[in-house]
Amino acid sequence: MTQTTLSSLNLDPALAAAGDCAASFAQLSRSIWEAPYLSGELLELCRLTLARLHRDAVEIAAGSPGGDATPDARRREAVLAGTVARSNAFNASEKAILDFCETYALDAQAITDEQAGRVRDALGEAGLVFLIEALGLLDARMRTARCLRDLAGAAAP
Amino acid sequence: MSAPRATAPGQRSGNVIRDSALGRVPETVEEIIRLNGAVWGNPHVAPALLEILRLRNARTVNCVFCKSVRYESARADGLTEERAQMIGEHYQGSALTAREKLVIALADCYLGFPAAVPAELAQRLRAEFSGAQIATMLVALMTFNFTSRTAVSIGGMPEGPLPLTVLPVSVTTA
Repeated sequence: MTQTTLSSLNLDPALAAAGDCAASFAQLSRSIWEAPYLSGELLELCRLTLARLHRDAVEIAAGSPGGDATPDARRREAVLAGTVARSNAFNASEKAILDFCETYALDAQAITDEQAGRVRDALGEAGLVFLIEALGLLDARMRTARCLRDLAGAAAP
Repeated sequence: MSAPRATAPGQRSGNVIRDSALGRVPETVEEIIRLNGAVWGNPHVAPALLEILRLRNARTVNCVFCKSVRYESARADGLTEERAQMIGEHYQGSALTAREKLVIALADCYLGFPAAVPAELAQRLRAEFSGAQIATMLVALMTFNFTSRTAVSIGGMPEGPLPLTVLPVSVTTA
């Protein structure tokens, strides 16, 4: 039998023992893939940016949430190589969003007004807030999946 | 203090989340409020331990707002201000209990970049806490971390510390 490795994409059942708070977190996490501000593909590229910065091979190998969230191969490769800024596969708005994502991952305090302004120009004020929330949720799920993998490893004989 | 990058919608519902810039995103704001309520009302982990996780996260993220808040339920559960002040750099040598120190260690594992739980600590955590308690603490950490980083990213924070304010959790859950 093949055991699926725990990642941010299949995390929720592993937290279900927490009860209502886990169910609410799962619902909130699902909602970001359905909101109108960002395409699923761009959100997945944000998730892959976070995975690259976390150096998390499991997340990179985890595939994508599916449907329209599956990125074009060239765009996915550019994100994983860290070459978005000089790639012609992204428009200026997408570059602004992925640049914001990268700084958010490294240190949210380091985000500049200019970076935030470019995202606000691209997505509007609500879209900026949504992007910040979505990045926080994606990052949180990645961190927790990693902790749970370590905790599960400690239980192995 | 610099200007916030997104402004509150102007409503005054009495809930600090709904009345903040997060109120601009109707697709998520009510679930964020429900999530806060579910975290603080969970049946597995006591409020004092949740508050330790929250304050350790606030310190690491450097969320000035989060650091200035104390929740009444955690105070009532025994986390006095004297004990809250122990959740700092030298917590290992403090008078916090071994269980409380283990909770801080879990928070630090989650907050690391990248996150990681060393094997020896993982064994201690599994010996001390049930699966439901560990899952609850991780959901709490995710909640505190993503909301505090949201506040930091939106900006408009004072540069210096704010006076401590003791609040009911209902300011974020009602």
